[in-house]
Amino acid sequence: MTFQPLFAALNLEIGDLLYYLIVFAILLWVVKHYAWGPVTKMMEKRRKQVSDDLDHAASDRQRAELLANQRAAALQKSKQDATQIISDARTNAEKTKQSIISDADQEAATIKKQAKADAEQAKADALNAAQAQVADLSVTIAGKVIAKNLSAEDQKDLVDQFVKGLKD
Amino acid sequence: MGEKPVVVSFLGLNFNLTNCLSGTLMAIVIGWFVIWLAKKVSMKPGKRQNVLEFIIDFTNGIVRDNVSDVDAQKHLSLYAFTLFLFIFMMNQLGLFLELTINGHIWIKSPTASPLITMTFAMMTLLLSFNFAMQRFGVGGYLRNYSRPIGFLLPINVLEEFTNFLTLSLRLYGNIYAGEVLLTLIGHDFAHSAGFATVLASAPLAFIWQGFSVFIGSIQAYVFVTLSMVYIGRKVQQE
Repeated sequence: MTFQPLFAALNLEIGDLLYYLIVFAILLWVVKHYAWGPVTKMMEKRRKQVSDDLDHAASDRQRAELLANQRAAALQKSKQDATQIISDARTNAEKTKQSIISDADQEAATIKKQAKADAEQAKADALNAAQAQVADLSVTIAGKVIAKNLSAEDQKDLVDQFVKGLKD
Repeated sequence: MGEKPVVVSFLGLNFNLTNCLSGTLMAIVIGWFVIWLAKKVSMKPGKRQNVLEFIIDFTNGIVRDNVSDVDAQKHLSLYAFTLFLFIFMMNQLGLFLELTINGHIWIKSPTASPLITMTFAMMTLLLSFNFAMQRFGVGGYLRNYSRPIGFLLPINVLEEFTNFLTLSLRLYGNIYAGEVLLTLIGHDFAHSAGFATVLASAPLAFIWQGFSVFIGSIQAYVFVTLSMVYIGRKVQQE
């Protein structure tokens, strides 16, 4: 061990070197164990979470877009359906209207015919009744007239008229 | 710098207790500081965690910018973080705390002594060897010295020494000069002509301390950056 006295003679403090190496090693360990490790782990975790969140946001947005598209398509379809339904209803209504009108026309025609027939009947009845009455009346009148004193002139007129009527 | 450091001999090795004490003190302060900052680690960072994450991002940025190898980056980031904090704190220590008892100085910036900076430079150097050997194997690593052209071999070997020396001595020189000037202003100049110079030295010392804080931060940054540059150059094929 000749180099140790040599260092001593040169007044080199080699002990410091070793001491500093040890102190630095201990400091490295302490820093790593109590500060560096936890903090860098947390930084890494945070980095990962941020990137995860970004990925999630992208996929969420994609899904939202998909849903929006689906909804737009559904809306479009329902609009079409509604139009279809309305037009169907309109056609049906038109049909119903036509049938109702034609029914009504028919009925009206029937009623009219019936009414006409009834009227004819009534007229015929009335005429028959009237004829009968007229006959009665004329007989009554004739009776009355005959009962009255007929002047010669009147009698002549009456006969003339009667004759004239016969001629006609 | 009239005060003598405390040196004891133990197991045939000289220990400079001043440097040991100061370094231990700073290591404890850093350990306490980062543990305090990382007390409540959560997904949504609080103020303390933000500070810690800011420092981590800062040193990770240094590593990322200078080491292209992703696998090496992962291993180096913790080293860069701890090294930066340690050197930074040691640089600042001498600016606000110099403890002298009976003519012996007990606490000062450890980085103001070349052996300590050489220790850190040596760590970087050994790490760079280690990473290069892991990457290319021992043979491949040794062959890299003769790349890109064979006659560059002596220059490449020499570069290892110059890198080591410049890395350590740059830090040492800056901090040592800062302390010397601070002692000159605060001690020699202030006591040179009575009350007037004491009064005059106060703003000067104040300005120089502020500047030294700046230098200390820059040098810590430079040291870590250059460490990463050297290691980064070793792990990539030229």
